[in-house]
Amino acid sequence: MTVGLGAYLTLAAVLFAIGFFGVVTRRNTIGILLGIELMLNAVNINLVAFARYNADVVGMVFTTFTIPITVAEVALGLAIVILIFRMKRTAIADHLDILRG
Amino acid sequence: MTDPALAALIALLLPACAFVILALAGPFRRLGRPAAYLSIVFSAAALVAAIAAFRLAGEGGYSVWLWSWIPAEAGPLATIGVLADGDSALMLVLVALVSFLVQVYSLGYLSDEGVPSLGRYYTYQSLFAFSMMGLVLAPNFVQLYICWELVGLCSYLLIGYWYTRPEAARAAVKAFWITKAGDVGMLIGIVLLWRLTGTFDFLQLLQLADAGAIPLAGLGVITFCIYLGAAGKSAQFPFHVWLPDAMEGPTPVSALIHAATMVTAGVYLLTRTVWLFRLTPDVMEIVAWNGAFTALLAAVLACVQTDIKRVLAYSTVSQLGYMMAAIGAGFASAGFLHLLTHGIFKALLFLGAGAVIHAVGTNDIFAMGGLWRRMPQTAIVFVIGTLSLAGVPLFAGFFSKEEILGAVLVGGFPVPFAILLLGAFLTAFYMFRVVFVTFAGVPAALPAGHRSDGSHVHDAPPFMALPLWILAVMCVGIGILFAAWHPAAEFEMLGWVTPAAIAVSLGGIALAYLVYERRAISADALAKAFAPIRAAALRRFWIDDAFAFVYRRLMLSLSWLVGWVDRYLVDGLVNLFSAWTLSAGGGLRRIQSGRAQDYVYGIALGVLLLMVWIRWPR
Amino acid sequence: MSLEVVTFWALCVLLIGSALAVVLTKNLFHSVLYLALSLTATAGVFLALDAEFLAAVQLLLYAGGVVTIVVFAIVVTERLVGERITQTSRHILAGLVLAGALLLALLRVLRGADLPVERQVITVDVTRAIGQVLLTEFVLPFELLAVLLLVGLLGALYFARPEE
Repeated sequence: MTVGLGAYLTLAAVLFAIGFFGVVTRRNTIGILLGIELMLNAVNINLVAFARYNADVVGMVFTTFTIPITVAEVALGLAIVILIFRMKRTAIADHLDILRG
Repeated sequence: MTDPALAALIALLLPACAFVILALAGPFRRLGRPAAYLSIVFSAAALVAAIAAFRLAGEGGYSVWLWSWIPAEAGPLATIGVLADGDSALMLVLVALVSFLVQVYSLGYLSDEGVPSLGRYYTYQSLFAFSMMGLVLAPNFVQLYICWELVGLCSYLLIGYWYTRPEAARAAVKAFWITKAGDVGMLIGIVLLWRLTGTFDFLQLLQLADAGAIPLAGLGVITFCIYLGAAGKSAQFPFHVWLPDAMEGPTPVSALIHAATMVTAGVYLLTRTVWLFRLTPDVMEIVAWNGAFTALLAAVLACVQTDIKRVLAYSTVSQLGYMMAAIGAGFASAGFLHLLTHGIFKALLFLGAGAVIHAVGTNDIFAMGGLWRRMPQTAIVFVIGTLSLAGVPLFAGFFSKEEILGAVLVGGFPVPFAILLLGAFLTAFYMFRVVFVTFAGVPAALPAGHRSDGSHVHDAPPFMALPLWILAVMCVGIGILFAAWHPAAEFEMLGWVTPAAIAVSLGGIALAYLVYERRAISADALAKAFAPIRAAALRRFWIDDAFAFVYRRLMLSLSWLVGWVDRYLVDGLVNLFSAWTLSAGGGLRRIQSGRAQDYVYGIALGVLLLMVWIRWPR
Repeated sequence: MSLEVVTFWALCVLLIGSALAVVLTKNLFHSVLYLALSLTATAGVFLALDAEFLAAVQLLLYAGGVVTIVVFAIVVTERLVGERITQTSRHILAGLVLAGALLLALLRVLRGADLPVERQVITVDVTRAIGQVLLTEFVLPFELLAVLLLVGLLGALYFARPEE
């Protein structure tokens, strides 16, 4: 018996849901970033799985792009987090509501 | 030129031009005397044109110029233009003549008036002349109503000429309101008439009436409503209250508007549409009875007045009652004749009173006395006017008043006849009371011939004296003319009416002489004898108070109520909606929390909804 | 039970377990370490899918680079704040509901789709194929990616510059 595409996609979906839960639940900004990492991971698994099962290499090329972009995004995001720390002396996302309506 | 309508049109447009020039050319108007001269010249030209129109109109003939104004499918809905027949041309001459004389007189009377105000005065005078002529020459109800309202507006402007005085402002508003109350009735009547017959035009309506084609059902309401408008303008009971207060305006204005022209508009209207009123004898009865009652009421009120202009004002109300009574009795020509003669001698009386006021500086007759030594000319013309009003033979008023009395009796109204006879007695009495107290005898408060500030009283200056003499000559001339040849009456006069009328007039004069000149009968004794009536008369029979009550309590309460509804219900409703909007906004604002995690919620929800929507089984 | 299935299930358990640990651990530092574990498991999944190049990239960049960056950030901010940052979670129920709903929707979509079960046979070397396509068809995005990384580098430098 073999593992079908559906299994990999399901795995990715579960991972995505877990990442989403982390994003909306965590108080610390860095914790939110970790959740985002998980979600992006799930996306990558999806892309690679499709590429393998359809014998299309483009999916893998896609992943080759998303991984570095994610790295850049994390770097910049953390730089911003540090900057906010310097200004507001807090790490808690609830306190960062300057753009309130 | 042979067309009377063309002449009448010229007479109508000349004061209109004067008004437009004065109204638009502000700097010229503010020069004062040049504006006055312009207005007077145009007025004189209008008088010439009016006389020409009268000469051309002749007896029984008429001519019409019309422009269609509101077009409609079956002929124009409303037209404007002139209808020049014998009656309207004659009235036109009266209006033009008195208007011209009053404008000349005003140059003298308002000589110490501020120069810009003088320009304003003559602008209003020109507008009034135009409006009144438009009313007189109106060929249909629409133009009549428009000019009616314009005349009312001019009355307001001129009564309130000295608008910085609160009494004058109040009087102007009062006049406007009271006449407006009548005008509403008239408007309703006009519209109902149109609904009944389909036309506003006098000539068409006259044809319909002659052919008997006007349905009688509901016509009584219509004629009564139209009569309400006439009653408002012509100061019939209970709408008479505005006329005495209107004396706050300058005396020439009173002479023009409240003696000769505007107040006669109501009588003129009834004369014009008598063929309509003849179809509703019930309303005619009301007109006659109310006219007689008004005549007596005003005469009683005039007996207790001490202000010379107030006496004349009540006298005007009384004489208007006479005219209305004659029309109500069915003989409109008698009323119209009295309208013409009354216009002449009442204008004379007012202008003479103005000369006295201008010279002495007060309106109170008991502050005057013995003025005939210092002001002989004024005294003579005033006495001439008084004799006309009292109905003494060989003076203008005699023939027309006698004809009215006869008409009322022949028309089948004996009780009104008796009332009018009593009124004639009182008329003679109170007018000669004024004459004796003012001009003759021993002055009460001031030395004879001295003003309140001690300077000498002088006779009328030339600008004021000339119109006085012209009118006085006309009074005497018309009186003698009628004595020699008089227009044929519509009815057969009863023999004993004429001597009765003369006797009553002379009796009134005699009583006044005994009381005020010879002091044979004490005025106080007379006052005590009629004490309750006198007290009521001094309070004006509480009619003014009734109007004030209605206005202040009812109308202003209604205004307050409406204002309350507007502020709290209407505005409240709108404010409620805006409050809802604000609170909804406040509630929705909480979505914008500023926290990124909450926005992630939103995004996820949106994605979910999209997925559900896409995959929903159709 | 073929090797493929066993591998898959093992990786599954590892991946999901470490992911749950990432979002549920109170200590932030421990979270990061669990993230490293889950990223490594993902690399394993790539290997199972015959994507060796990507597995290597994943290990190098993610498990190596990102985790390092995050650790440094925690250390720096912890030092700034002066105490150990603890985690508490808020609105767990709402998050659960929404995450569950999302998962259900995704699974529903997957169930309705017709997905292949058998892997297609590949004959070429995957890495070589990736390289080929990367430098022919996708050369422009590739170069732009380099620019992006440069910009990111500069941006991060500017943001995190020492205070004046």
